[in-house]
Amino acid sequence: MQIIEEITPEKLTLRLSGRFDAHETPQVRQKFTEHAPKNALIDLSGVTFLDSAALSTLVQAMKNCRERGGELTLANMPQPVRIIFELTRLDKAFNIVNAPDAP
Amino acid sequence: MAYSNYQRWKTTPISDTAAPYLSVIIPAYNEAERIVPSIGAIASHICDLGFDWELIIADDGSKDETVALVEGLGLVNARVLKAPKNGGKGSAVKRGMLAARGKYRLFADADNSTPIEEVTRLLAKIDGSQTPRYDIAIGSRAAEGAQESNKSLLRRIFSGGLRMMVKYVLGINVRDTQCGFKLYTAEAAERLHKAQTMMGFSFDLEVLYLAAKYGYKVAEVAVAWVDAPGSKVNPTKEAKRFIKDMAAIKRNDWRGAYAA
Repeated sequence: MQIIEEITPEKLTLRLSGRFDAHETPQVRQKFTEHAPKNALIDLSGVTFLDSAALSTLVQAMKNCRERGGELTLANMPQPVRIIFELTRLDKAFNIVNAPDAP
Repeated sequence: MAYSNYQRWKTTPISDTAAPYLSVIIPAYNEAERIVPSIGAIASHICDLGFDWELIIADDGSKDETVALVEGLGLVNARVLKAPKNGGKGSAVKRGMLAARGKYRLFADADNSTPIEEVTRLLAKIDGSQTPRYDIAIGSRAAEGAQESNKSLLRRIFSGGLRMMVKYVLGINVRDTQCGFKLYTAEAAERLHKAQTMMGFSFDLEVLYLAAKYGYKVAEVAVAWVDAPGSKVNPTKEAKRFIKDMAAIKRNDWRGAYAA
């Protein structure tokens, strides 16, 4: 999986592409540990598949952002990812948008 | 890609009189943690292909929440085959293949280690869109062009050793017998899985041995494969079992257990 990172004082943005699974979650966790962002956006437009370890990592990142008074936004879910979120009912838990530059 | 195809498949039953084009069978043992994302990926891709299909989760006596989880998804074209006890992956695949109604029948591992997108190239080998037309198309991590990711050295050695033995002991001219991504015509699936006697890890080997014996044409298709975390394969234990089962296959054949 490829990760492109953008960091501003307001927000951490990660653009992910490829298969997001347990082999890749340490990299994403590390970004959140390193920057401890209040607000973050993860652009999933290039993700082909994500597994339960990836979902768990995203849930933890969302909790960490909320503990700091901010929010994690997931953007541009391709259809397979959207369906995985629906089946796991995590679509109800996350702030999901279709624009990559969402706040 | 049409999300509406998925929504329709999720809520509208396919015909119960006409055979669906494809059945996807996922053998599952304690897969509560991994199976739902795989179902999502499979449903998304197959629905986009635009034909009728059914999903069969062949549970193998799971002790976790696999069955309840899948039944709770509310997918009207998905069935769960329950088993009272764990009988081995081969038993789950056999039950799934024989319960399936599809014109073509794919079994795919629960971890999506071979991405479902690869099914299109397997279908092309057996659906008449390419010549020659095969009866069985198997995903291969050893064929030219295959891509393996995150495979440990131990698993590479394990796979290489088994390939050599399969070729020289059983005379099966297939480089990767164990990839959990195989597609059959309905006729081949029914005949081979009815004759299948092995229920453990070596069932693939027996089925391919039978395929050669009965004269089915097998295409080996290079696929991408990711060593998904949480694999239940114990290489040392399974290598011993595999060698024992190769001998059992030869013995069964000499005794006439596989008579056509």
